[in-house]
Amino acid sequence: MNNLAIIETILRNRQRFFIEIRDGVELGRKIRAMLISSIAFFALYGAVMGSTHSLFQALSSAAKLPLLFLATLVVCSPTLYFFNLVFGSNQSLTQNFTLILTAITVTAVLLLSFSPVVLFFLLTTSQYQFFKLLNVGVFTIAGFVGVRFLSQGMRVVSDAGKEGAGGRRNVVRLWILLYAFVGSQMAWTLRPFIGAPGMQFELFRQLGGNFYANVFASIGELLGFFTVR
Amino acid sequence: MSTRVEQILNLLVDEIEERMQKRQRVAVPPPPAPVLQVPLPPRAEKHPLAPPEPEPEPPPMPPGPPHAARFIGRLTLGLLVAVIAINIPFNRHGTTLATAMPDTASLIIRNGLVVKEEDDPEIYVYQNGKFRWISSLDAFEHYGYTWGDVHIVKDGWLDDFEIGAPIHVLLKCPDSPHIYRLENDVKRWIVNIETFEAEGHVWEDVRFVSCEYLRSIPNGETIPPGSGPPPQP
Repeated sequence: MNNLAIIETILRNRQRFFIEIRDGVELGRKIRAMLISSIAFFALYGAVMGSTHSLFQALSSAAKLPLLFLATLVVCSPTLYFFNLVFGSNQSLTQNFTLILTAITVTAVLLLSFSPVVLFFLLTTSQYQFFKLLNVGVFTIAGFVGVRFLSQGMRVVSDAGKEGAGGRRNVVRLWILLYAFVGSQMAWTLRPFIGAPGMQFELFRQLGGNFYANVFASIGELLGFFTVR
Repeated sequence: MSTRVEQILNLLVDEIEERMQKRQRVAVPPPPAPVLQVPLPPRAEKHPLAPPEPEPEPPPMPPGPPHAARFIGRLTLGLLVAVIAINIPFNRHGTTLATAMPDTASLIIRNGLVVKEEDDPEIYVYQNGKFRWISSLDAFEHYGYTWGDVHIVKDGWLDDFEIGAPIHVLLKCPDSPHIYRLENDVKRWIVNIETFEAEGHVWEDVRFVSCEYLRSIPNGETIPPGSGPPPQP
């Protein structure tokens, strides 16, 4: 299966794609194709984000953004698998992994589609806080659509065992919250992705603070309430 | 001559039209055969032991070329070229398109930020909530700063911030026990260790230079003042 053709299938014929996952059709090839595509798209988006600071930051973000999503996937997928088992699912870990990877691939494609917009703002504005919040917004939209795909896919895939379907739906909802929390903390740990102007390049920034406090601080600075120090 | 050309062109047009017609015939599927509409019997209650109904086949892939995949491929390639292009330096200072926008509006005030006001030669570094003046070029180099680190800000920009103690560099040459503080392009002899410590200096502030260079720097007031003529290194 062509690595990009799988994107076409996910976007245009997701029902068939989910049924194939449920039936375990070519899961290995699907996983490989989705991994390759999503890593490429995340890397490209990361490079666009990091370019606002320096070439090193662009390269660093290109490596760190795929790592962020894949590490979150690895950290979170066992939870979804075991909770699904508890609520009567008969899906394998590979099927769960493929479903989550589908959501991540959709997120990656949407990020790629936002890249020209982000590139435009990179070249036409110097407001670091605005650029940071723009990216937070883009990630939120792309991530939201991605997890909607996961939710839809989970409904199709868990159709085979109807017992406990309601419980499994709730598990997916709660898992999405968990995924968002783990993902945001992972992003905070692996920062910087954009690179603060006036600062030298650094691969990882020292820990301290948290993602949510920083977003609120950025909004405050953008609106002129205070300066982030 | 022109009739010959016209004939060739006519043949070419006929051939193109014929091929296009053929292609359209292939692309348009034949109309479906009429299906006899038979009224369905009322749906019977499913017997609990009846075998499960076969699931409906998933919808087939909509017809047409894989335009999304093709577009994604082109977009990826285009973005890759754009990212490389905006990161190529276009002047000797290493400025790239991506970093060409003035950044004073977006400076993040953090430890290590080096700034200089437009019409003021003095350079300041931000440390622990205060901007500290770097008192000499030697100090600037000693602490590892480069001109690339210096951010030009508007005149008066520093007025909003607290100014801390200046950053000096201490100079010493290998053949002399004396330590001098470089300040406003003159060297000031630090009279003893007690004064050295009282001024808040540490051994990491001391930079070793050649005695010849140290001698070439004019003498200033001693630290503390009035301690007599400073010794030559």
